[in-house]
Order: sequence, then C-alpha cells, then structure tokens
Amino acid sequence: MPYSSIFKDHLAHPRNAGELPDANAIADEKNPVCGDRLRLSLVVKNDRIETARYLAYGCPPTLVCGSILTELISGKSIEEAKQLTRTDLVNAIGGLPSRKHHAAALAIETLNSALAQLS
Amino acid sequence: MPERRVYLDNSATTPVDPRVATAMARAVTETFGNASSVHGFGQQARAAIDRARREVAALIAARQNEIVFTSGGTEANNLAIRGLCQAASGHGRHIITSAIEHPSVAGVCAELEKRGWEVTRLPVYGNGIVKIDDVSEALRSDTILITIMLANNEIGTIQPIAQTGVLVRERRAAGQKNLWLHTDAVQAAGRLHLNIEELGCDLLTISGHKLYAPKGVGALYVRRGVRLHGQNVGGHQERERRAGTENVPGIVAFGEAAKLAREELEQRSQHDRALRDKFEAEVRERIEYIVMNGDREHRLDHLSNISFRFIEGEGLLINLDLEGVAVSTGSACSSGTLEPSPVIRALGVTDELARGSLRFSFGKDNTDADVDYVVEVLAAAVERLRLLSPLSRALN
Repeated sequence: MPYSSIFKDHLAHPRNAGELPDANAIADEKNPVCGDRLRLSLVVKNDRIETARYLAYGCPPTLVCGSILTELISGKSIEEAKQLTRTDLVNAIGGLPSRKHHAAALAIETLNSALAQLS
Repeated sequence: MPERRVYLDNSATTPVDPRVATAMARAVTETFGNASSVHGFGQQARAAIDRARREVAALIAARQNEIVFTSGGTEANNLAIRGLCQAASGHGRHIITSAIEHPSVAGVCAELEKRGWEVTRLPVYGNGIVKIDDVSEALRSDTILITIMLANNEIGTIQPIAQTGVLVRERRAAGQKNLWLHTDAVQAAGRLHLNIEELGCDLLTISGHKLYAPKGVGALYVRRGVRLHGQNVGGHQERERRAGTENVPGIVAFGEAAKLAREELEQRSQHDRALRDKFEAEVRERIEYIVMNGDREHRLDHLSNISFRFIEGEGLLINLDLEGVAVSTGSACSSGTLEPSPVIRALGVTDELARGSLRFSFGKDNTDADVDYVVEVLAAAVERLRLLSPLSRALN
C-alpha cells in the first residue's frame, strides 16, 4: 500500500522533534532486530502531558510514528495516554503496510516506558 | 506530484530511448508474424530478429549465432548457470562466485548448493573488488564454473573478468577442459567497451532495459561449443536453448538500443562521468559524515554509492522522492527485520553505514541542472533527518 498524505507530511515536516532539558520522563527504546530507535521526552504537569519531543532513527514509519505520537499525546492525561494503542497510531497515520507495523509497536513501547517512569 | 522530477536510478532501469520506442512500435504493428513460420510474414519477423541479433552481438564483438535472446537478465543468468551445471555435472560440482552477485546469480548458486553443489563465494574487501589471486586459489580440479559479475549493480565496481578469462584459458591449456567462465554484464553492457575475446568469457548476460530498451528482453552470449541444458523446453527456438515464440518487438527494440549504445558509448560515458563527478564533488562540499562506497578508480562512470552517517537510507530515499528525486537503496527494513545490503556489508562496513547507503545512478538524459537540484534537496533532507536522529545528537 502507498503511504498516505498524512504520512508524507509528517516525514517531510516532522512535528516536535528534539529533546526537553526539563523533561520528567525520557524513554529510549530500540527494536533489537532491525535497530530502529526512538527517544521520547515528556514534560508532565498535574498529571497531564504538557510537552512531548522525540528523536528517531530508522525506516520512515519509525520517524513518522514518533512525530504523530507526540501530537496524539500532547495535552492528554497520563491515564488517557496509557490507553493509546498501536492501532490508534496506525489509524492516525492513515494506515501502514503490515510489514511496517513494528514501527507503531516501537512507538507505543517507548510511550509506555516513559509513562512508567511517572507512576 | 512534485514540480520537478529527476530520475537518478538508471542502474535499476533506464527510460526507453524514443528512437528505440519508434523501432519497437513499428515492429509491433508491422512485424507481427511468427518467426518460425515459413511464409512471408514469418520470414519478415525472422529477418528483424536476425538484424537485432547482429547488433547485440556487435555490442560485445561476438558472432551473431552466439546470442540467445531471453526475457531479460534474470532468465539469462538462470540459463547460463543452471544450463551449464546441468550439462556439465558429470565433470565436477564446484562453482566459484563472488559475495556481491545480483540475486539472480546468488540465488541460483544457493539453490544448486542445496542440491549438493559446492559453492565458493569470494570476498571483495573494502574496495568492492574480487582479487584474482583468490580466484586462482579457489580453483579446484572439479570446478566447472566461475560466475563473477563484470560490474556491480550497487557500487559499480569493475571485477577482473579479463584476468579471470586468462586464468581459465591457462587451466584449460593445462588439461582442465571442463572449466567455464560466465559473467553477468547487465550493468556493464552499454557502459563499458566490451569485447568477448578480450574478456575470455564463455557465457555473458545482457539485459535490454539497462540500456534504454524496454523491459522483457535480454540475451545470453554462449560461446560456440559450450553445451547448455535448455531451461525452457517445447520448441526449437534460439537453437534449442530457449523454447518459446520470440518476442519480436522486444528483440527489435533491444537490437536498436544495442546499436545506439555501441555508437554512442564514448559520448554517454563522458556525459555520465562528468555528472557523477560533479555530483560527488558537490556532495563532499555540502554534506559532512559521508562515506563513498567502492573503489574510486575501477568503477562504472554513471554510478555513485554513498553512506550517510546517523540516518537510514529508506528515510532519505522517501524524503528525496517527495521532492521528485528517484534513487535507490539496497537495504530494506521489513517486518521488523533489517536486511542491510549484502553488497555494502561485503565491504566490511558497520550496519549503520550499510543502512545509510544510497545509490545515485546517472543516465544520458540527466543534466547539470539535475545535479544542482539533487544536491540541494539531498543536503536539506540529510540535515532534517540528522536533526531527528538520536545517533547524531553528539554532533549538535
């Protein structure tokens, strides 16, 4: 399947790229098989994700999942962010070929790892 | 659709030359007879095939009755390797090949290995070139085939085929009569001056669509006297080597493309080399942390393979595609499994460098302005991806 226009837009114009010096949680996860990496930094205040930033290395879906993840979780409560699934991410991107779903899995794993630091 | 489109993937396939398309279109409508038919329509098709065969033979300075038309390079490689191994299996079951062959050679060798053949895969070292001493050392009394590509499809390095040909002739003269040399010249044909006697090959593969002909047609050169077991049976076409009604329009197109390639070879090489050298000089000036892959001297004129540190090739490729620039990468990430390019890995580089490699292959229709545009969008895309990369953070 071809990549969606949302996908292409995030690839060409990544949102929220970078790191946060005042982050309360930083998660750095790696897909041990393919080597893709995602780093997520969060500033959380009053149980709500105020700011999210990401860095990514890997195939285009990994880069795009990082970008769209930060958009989806910004402003959400921790409980709301915990509910986010791989499918939510794939749908938000406008679909992904099944062989690339591992990118969404890595993003959710990184999110959960960051959220776990806050509890 | 981007406003500007630049095609720099001429090693994957070339655009069909309008002169070739014209010749092919005429053959589609006017030369529709079956070349095996004895009537006038059939003989007209036969004559068109013969003319094309002369042109393809002339491209490699071979005799026309040594050219077998196929559906392309993959079929020609299959016919060469399987066909020879089946015909000569009584004399030995050892094959020598290189670690950087195209899948249509590597795959056939791997399959023969499963059936009990022994395969020696020669390394290529950091420059991407097989050492002739390694070929010599790998030779055994039961070796029947050496199959090494003439020029690599990912990094363009030119392999020592003429020297291997000398080695094979020496061995034959010393009594090892059943030793044959095949080369996959798909990337080299139309880009290098080729003379079959100078190369000393018994079998040589060419593909039409790499030299401005359409897809679906290729050829295998088979030296007179070499016995091949046909892979397609059920017809007498191509002197019993490849059964099936000939693809007359494709063959006519291939013949025209081969003629143009021969006539324009020097001019095309100079053009491609000038663009490639300009591109590499500008990339070096604009982009840091890069590695140019493959030998700098012994390589095809039209091809540049570069690893961009800290980023991944596919991400860069799609970023370039969004700007209308077509290039390719040998690495693939699929189902969470990384498959870095076996060719780049064979150079002994790290996974990161193998993953970050892109191939830029120029063609006769590219211009100086194309290079300027590509360097511009490439530099911007590399910078964007490096800003995203946790691997390049130490630089910022």
